[in-house]
This record gives sequence, C-alpha cells and structure tokens, in this order.
Amino acid sequence: MALAADRPPLKARDYKSDIKPVWCPGCGDFAVLSAITKALAFLERPREEVAMITGIGCSSRIAAYTRVYGFHGVHGRALALAGGLKAARPDLTVLVAGGDGDGLSIGGNHFIHACRRNMDMTYIVMDNEVYGMTKGQASPTTDADWDRSKLTPRGTGIRPFNPAALALTAGATFIARGFTGDPNGLAKILVSAIEHRGFSFVQALSPCKTFRPEQMEWKKHVRGFAQPPTHIGALAAERLHADDGMSTGVIYQTDYPAFQPGGGEPGDPGQFEAEFRI
Amino acid sequence: MSLAQKMSGLPIFLAYSVVMEEEAAERHDELADVMDVHNNPEVAATFRKLAHYSRLHAQEIREQSVKLELPKIAPWDFEWEDGEPPETADPGAVDYLMNRSKALRLAMENEQRAHDFYAVISREAPSAEVRELAAEFADEEQEHLDLLVEWRKRIPEDEEETPFDPDPPHMPE
Repeated sequence: MALAADRPPLKARDYKSDIKPVWCPGCGDFAVLSAITKALAFLERPREEVAMITGIGCSSRIAAYTRVYGFHGVHGRALALAGGLKAARPDLTVLVAGGDGDGLSIGGNHFIHACRRNMDMTYIVMDNEVYGMTKGQASPTTDADWDRSKLTPRGTGIRPFNPAALALTAGATFIARGFTGDPNGLAKILVSAIEHRGFSFVQALSPCKTFRPEQMEWKKHVRGFAQPPTHIGALAAERLHADDGMSTGVIYQTDYPAFQPGGGEPGDPGQFEAEFRI
Repeated sequence: MSLAQKMSGLPIFLAYSVVMEEEAAERHDELADVMDVHNNPEVAATFRKLAHYSRLHAQEIREQSVKLELPKIAPWDFEWEDGEPPETADPGAVDYLMNRSKALRLAMENEQRAHDFYAVISREAPSAEVRELAAEFADEEQEHLDLLVEWRKRIPEDEEETPFDPDPPHMPE
C-alpha cells in the first residue's frame, strides 16, 4: 500500500462512496455531503484517517455515502460512539453527523455532555426542523405553531431549541452555522471546524423539500453574521439571541484543552480487553 | 471590480472554466443518481447524458490548460455570483416526478447562465487572449443550448404532463 505522501492528492469526489443517496431530489443534505468532501479534500486528509459516525434519520445515512471509515449507529447515540472512538483512536479525524431530531431530542443528553466534554471532533447537525424519515413530525427545532403534521394539528405549542445557543451554554468551544444553499461556504466552515482542537458544533440549515417545502425560501433570508467570530461567550450569546436563526458563519471559537483520556496515545485493544475480563 | 475584470490571464480564466464544467458534471451525476433511486429512469438517463457532455467539455478545457500552471483556488474563494458556478443545476429545481422535458429545461437554463458568464468575460476581461477564448467558449455554450432546444423538440408532447404518483410521500391535511 502506497504511503499517503506518495499518493496523488484526493479530489472531493474521491471521498464519496459509490452508494447512491436515497435522499429526496432537492434535499439540502446533498450539499452537506458535497461540503464535507470538499473540506476533506482541501485538508488532504487520507481517507483511512477519517471516521464518520452517525445516528438514525435521513441525514444520518451520510456515513454510507462517504468513502471513509463509518459507523451508522443507534438513534441519538452517535456522539457516544464517536467519543469512544476518539478515546481509543485520538489520531483519527472524527466527524459526527445527524439531524435535529437525532441530535437534539433522542440524543439531546449526549449532545450537551459532548459539548462540555470538549473532545476533539466535529459534530454536524443537518437541521431541517422536522423528522423526515418518519414522514414529517415536529422536532426540537420546529416552530411552535407548525401545524402540518397530524400529530400536532395545532402546532406543538413548545418553543424550539436554538441549537447554537444550546451548544454555547453547554460548553462547546467552536460553534458555527452554515447553509446548504451555499455548499462552498459550508465547506469553509467545516475546514475551520475540523482544524479546531476541541468539540466543534456546526448547525447546517438543510431544507427538507418534501415535508417542509416552505424552507426552499430560506435562500432569500440567509445572510452572513455581521460580526466576526468572538471568543467571548456572553457576546456570542447576545448575538445568538438577537438573531433570527438565519445568520451564518463561525459564531464562537475559544481555546480550551480538549478532553482526551489516555493522554492522547492510541489505546491498546489487549489492555482494554483485560480490564473488562470477568 | 467585477469577476470578469479580474480575469487577467489564461491561468485564472481556465481555472474557473474547468471547475465550472466539473461541478456541472458532478451535479448532473448527483441528479441522475437520485432519479435512479426514485425510479425515474428516463430522467436519470437524461441527467447522465448531460453529465457526460459536461465531463467532455471539462476534459477539452483541461487539455487546453496542459501547458499552463493553473492557480489552486479553494472552493469558497471562487467568486461565483450565486455561490456556485453558473452552469451547476439548482438542486431545488428538481423533484422526483419531473419529466425529461423539465430536466432539459433546467439544463437549458444552466447553459444560458454559462453562456452569459463567458459572454461578459469576452467583453470585460483586461486580457485580450482571455477575451478571445471566452468568446469561443460563449459560442460553444450557445451551441450546447441550441442542441438542447433541438433535443427537447424531439420529446413527445404528452411527456409535458407531470407523472402521477398515487402514493406520494406527503399527504398534507
């Protein structure tokens, strides 16, 4: 096998697998796939040094569509799996991906603790404000008055999460928001997120053409944050709460030591086995 | 300064041109795949053919660039007007029930934008050799557009109707 340094540079398409996505035509998740592969190509990460860990849902299928190591895990548990992987293999670039339901409802508890744990990984939430795979129910980011689901005919009546503000409160050290209508801008954000040492959270606004067709109008409302990223939490919080959720860019980035059990050396599987032997 | 006015030499112009064709091919491939998955084989084949033509054009441009060192530009540093190259199909404009006629209409819009992109450069670029090559590329895009118009004329009129799906993915109340 040729050493990474001897191989010609990989192009974005080299990070895509041969499996055809089952996403609906027009789904924003295609652009996330494009952005991830462009970011990895730009960073020249060898495919065998990257792992994509996902939960369950339309967006979580992305593990199968990338040609890197992948684990399509249990609903809401992608971050737990990724934490275990990063603990054992700190040398890997660990990417975690899923949807707003997977990450903020079923996996909500894992999310806040992953933020405060600050392990060196990148978490991408493809936020379409709906459970798409189960045919369109309200998620934790759905507006309180969205009444298009039979389960919530008068809306949920519950205020949605602001995922970026939640990440900030829970202790994430890199927080950004991107938009699938601008896949190249999203790729740039992902490069910064991957390069950040610590837990990076990227909320990707990703319209669901099938169950939230009105989101196809997002393109008219999305714009960049007026201010550059800040390392001051209070300032980031102020900006996030003043924003309507449609501003994109890196919001917050700060230096804080990444948590890495075992001192950053890859684990010895034999030792793990011995520790758990009954 | 407009993008056309920044086309100061062949390397930067060809760097933009190659990426424009490659991304158009990638998008057409993506759309062909998704139409395959959604059991729309005719439209899938149409997008596959369009991807093939984009790839041929990209190859042609790469051959013209062989003796030049093209600048390496990060995807986000290209100054496309709408964030993506003008020949790249808008993914929001497709749906699983689209027919060949609609797919070709989409392709025509893409070719028109590509033509306009080159046409502006052929008028405004500061470099004479860029203006000349851009004019040539604009003519080629116009030819592609004409071919698409002819292709679309060959499609029977009854295909203009949107296919019916008795079991759509969403049943709004």
